[in-house]
Amino acid sequence: MSASRESASGGTEVRKPADLPSPTVQTHPDTQLEWEFRHSQPPAPPVGAPVLGETMVQLRGVTKRFGSVTAVDAVDLTIRKGEFLTLLGPSGCGKTTLLRLLAGFETPTSGEILIEGRDVSNIPPYRRDVNQVFQSYAIFPHLTVEDNIAFGLKMRHVPAAERRERVEEALALVSLAGLGRRRPHELSGGQRQRVALARALVCRPKVLLLDEPLSALDAKLRHAMQLELKHLQRQLGITFVFVTHDQEEALIMSDRIAVIHRGRIDQLGTATEIYHAPASAFTADFIGEANLLDAAVVANNGVTAQLQLGEGAEVSVRASAVRPGATRALVSVRPEKIYITRTKPAKENTFKGVIEEEIFRGAMDELRIRIAGGLQLMAMAANESAHEHAWHKGDTVFCAIHTDDIVVVEQK
Amino acid sequence: MAAPRASTDNSAGAKREPRGIGWLLLTPLLGWLGLFVVLPTAILFVYSFCQRDELGQVVFSFTWSNYARIFDPIYLGIFGRSLWYAGLTTALCLAIGYPVAYFIGRSPPSRRSTLLLLVMIPFWISFLLRTYAWISLLKGEGLISSLLQAMRLLTGPLDILYTPTAVIIGLVYTYLPFMILPIFTSAEKLDNSMIEAALDLGATPVRAFTQVILPLTKPGIFAGVLLVFVPSIGMFAVTDLMGGARVPMIGNVIQNQFGQARDWPFGAALGITFLALFAITFWFLHDRGEVRR
Amino acid sequence: MKKRLSSLFAIGLALGAALDLSAAKKEVNLFGWSEYVPQDVLDKFEEETGIKVNYETYASNEEMLSKLLGGAAEFDLVQPSEYVVEALVKAGKLEEIDFANVPNIGNISPAYMHRPHDPEQKYSVPYMVGAISIVVNTERVKEPVTGFRDVFSGKYAGRIVSLNDNRELLTWALQTLGRDFNAITPENIAAARPLLEKWLPQVKAFDSDSPKTKLLNGDVDIGIVWPGEAAILYREDKKFACLLPVEGSHVTIDSLVIPKGAPHKAEAEAFISFILRPEISVLISRAFPYTNPNREACKLLTPEELANPASFPKGVETLPTFKAIGKAAAQVDKLITDLKSGS
Repeated sequence: MSASRESASGGTEVRKPADLPSPTVQTHPDTQLEWEFRHSQPPAPPVGAPVLGETMVQLRGVTKRFGSVTAVDAVDLTIRKGEFLTLLGPSGCGKTTLLRLLAGFETPTSGEILIEGRDVSNIPPYRRDVNQVFQSYAIFPHLTVEDNIAFGLKMRHVPAAERRERVEEALALVSLAGLGRRRPHELSGGQRQRVALARALVCRPKVLLLDEPLSALDAKLRHAMQLELKHLQRQLGITFVFVTHDQEEALIMSDRIAVIHRGRIDQLGTATEIYHAPASAFTADFIGEANLLDAAVVANNGVTAQLQLGEGAEVSVRASAVRPGATRALVSVRPEKIYITRTKPAKENTFKGVIEEEIFRGAMDELRIRIAGGLQLMAMAANESAHEHAWHKGDTVFCAIHTDDIVVVEQK
Repeated sequence: MAAPRASTDNSAGAKREPRGIGWLLLTPLLGWLGLFVVLPTAILFVYSFCQRDELGQVVFSFTWSNYARIFDPIYLGIFGRSLWYAGLTTALCLAIGYPVAYFIGRSPPSRRSTLLLLVMIPFWISFLLRTYAWISLLKGEGLISSLLQAMRLLTGPLDILYTPTAVIIGLVYTYLPFMILPIFTSAEKLDNSMIEAALDLGATPVRAFTQVILPLTKPGIFAGVLLVFVPSIGMFAVTDLMGGARVPMIGNVIQNQFGQARDWPFGAALGITFLALFAITFWFLHDRGEVRR
Repeated sequence: MKKRLSSLFAIGLALGAALDLSAAKKEVNLFGWSEYVPQDVLDKFEEETGIKVNYETYASNEEMLSKLLGGAAEFDLVQPSEYVVEALVKAGKLEEIDFANVPNIGNISPAYMHRPHDPEQKYSVPYMVGAISIVVNTERVKEPVTGFRDVFSGKYAGRIVSLNDNRELLTWALQTLGRDFNAITPENIAAARPLLEKWLPQVKAFDSDSPKTKLLNGDVDIGIVWPGEAAILYREDKKFACLLPVEGSHVTIDSLVIPKGAPHKAEAEAFISFILRPEISVLISRAFPYTNPNREACKLLTPEELANPASFPKGVETLPTFKAIGKAAAQVDKLITDLKSGS
């Protein structure tokens, strides 16, 4: 399913999400409208994998221990040339250590890191063609904007004339032309962020590392910068490795996302893959919102398998999703994929429930629905509270879930 | 609209000169400064233009002679040597103190206080006691001499007590913490990502030090230099005790004027000149922006 | 409560209080050298007379002058050296002593009376005297040392401790040259200069506070030190030979004087008279073995004490004294500062 999606919106031009058509994949013609609406979050960016197949960075069994703590645990990862890869995970998951290993601030306890085929595991940061944008920006306060940007070129003994030219270029690139003489303390947070970016980019690194560079910006500016960064990356074709704990940011910007959990890569894939087909309960829960439901496998006829959610509702999934012989499964259902109606729809996997709570969330209504068997589901419905037929607490409703939207994340 | 206006008012208020309650709160400080800094300096200033009588009492009759006497080559020479000793002391304190301060500033916070304590502990002991301890360390039959001889690094006894070398050792020892503490403060504040950014941008550790670490710890260095240089130039106790009072520094000359020579006006003139020199130096450095941060 | 007491008792109390008050008034403010007046002497005086002694100390004549002339405190008794007495007399800063209250002034040897600083002996009473002594560690120095010329022959360079006193240094040079050490003239300074230029670099350390420590520690072998320090060294260890330099010497006469306007003049005179008693004076001698000018007290000293060559050097009583040099002190200071800087 994800494969078809990838090819669907290939192309390098990035448009504002609002201008983009809804995902064109139509696996469920009968519910197209609802699905379309619910997918109105920014679409998964195109993955350039087939075009940009060359390997830029390769991590082979990289482990980093600090004393008794294993921060990075036997990570294998291949980063392609020109790719925007995001390391996503909660704080303390090891994503920053991974980035620092790439930058050269840490050396792996075991394993090796190759950049363009060269083992750099023990190469110090100042001899790597890798640059970083720091979370704190780390702008040198004693230097002007210009001198900050020129710093890397100076260290690499780039002649003064060329240096000036490249600094001007870099300033223009990040829309700071004319501010070269300013002192860092005269800049706004967003401008400093751009200086940090320009300072790294001006060195023309093979890989640009970004350590939560947007976390200090306010929401509006942050969103604008997300798109701008994405633009820039496309424009320059530089490989970006981006660290964030913000799943939305990751989904918006990345070609691929590596979900990091306890020093390991929990799942590596495109945004859509990770969103729609989480490989684990952790990823399902961490990315977006998910109903993680315990189910018993009650039947399996080779085409479909019947799962009983809790003690009540029965749903069917494709038999291929369930390992033969498995008796219990943990399934993930995205809240926006639960189709809610007042009258029983002619759909598979339909069951009754009572709205226990209605939470107004702006664009969406969050509904807490108690279903047969005692499970509570979280569902998202288009916000209709202004309409007559709005959802209300105590309403009896019907829930429908498409077979493909029930993702088995664990089983035994 | 009301909110932004309020905020501009606030920011203006923050920069406002102290008035009313502000001055009231400053009173103890101003009083202290007036009573113990301004007034004595003013008295010194007045004395420096006076004369002394047979008994060494200050006589209020105007004269430039005290200042003229400073330009006697003898005193100029001593001024020069004092500057040289103080400069050497400052340089050594910086050379020894910077790595120590940097190391402490960059060590984990849990260990910092312990390390700082180790720097401070010797200074809980009286200055005289510590100086006498140094005397017994440095003398010909002292620990250091014996050790060096036992290690066959020296053939005869070490003979540096009551020499300028001993004075410099004493000065460096006395003022080292005054170098370490401000640099430590600067180093502690130094954001680690600054150093990493420098390395990331291709600076070798040496260049990262000269281009980033050094400039960013400059306020600490400057404060340390000032805190070491100024008092060491006027130091007299170390010169007397460890230098055997053989080679006078300007501090000894001034001390003599208020003691043995009982020539307060000349002593005052030396003190005022001294003060003026520092004021000018500081003002000059400040003007060049070295002190601002 | 008092109201219920009988009137007679009340009168008695009042009388007692009055007596108490007058007793409280009886005090004397003594401003003396540190380590110069033994505590037991002060205690005995208080016990006998009921006069409380407030003892404040100083470490140099100059420090004393600063405090005395600064006028911050009112002192009844001070212990300046003779050349300071002279200056104070000239400046009219001293009270005449009423010798009717000091009948035992006769105990003082006439040799120390009517000296130039107080020719009529109206203002001062000698307390302790002494002449600066050359101390030689005879275990380390085998050749005889007789005076400044021997000390500074060059043989003992780096083995000498000297008082850190500019006027003394100049005086030694002038004595060696046979010149008048009280004449601080340009000619005398010029004459002394080359000699001091040779001498000063030979000194390992200048120390006025405790030069004896450096001799005891063996840091140096020869010292030119205060008589009291020399006497203590000799008392500790007979290897320390003490002598007056052959080139000449001077005697310092530390005297008790009463500053002008002293609030407790009578008590001050009582104190002077008290310490002139032989049995009291001898206590001072034992604590601080300077030369005791009190001949009656000397009679109470043991032969051994009298034989201490630093306490009682031969001919000390006939030695000349320092005169006040006033502003010329600046010239002395400049000379020594210059020479030390040049070395």
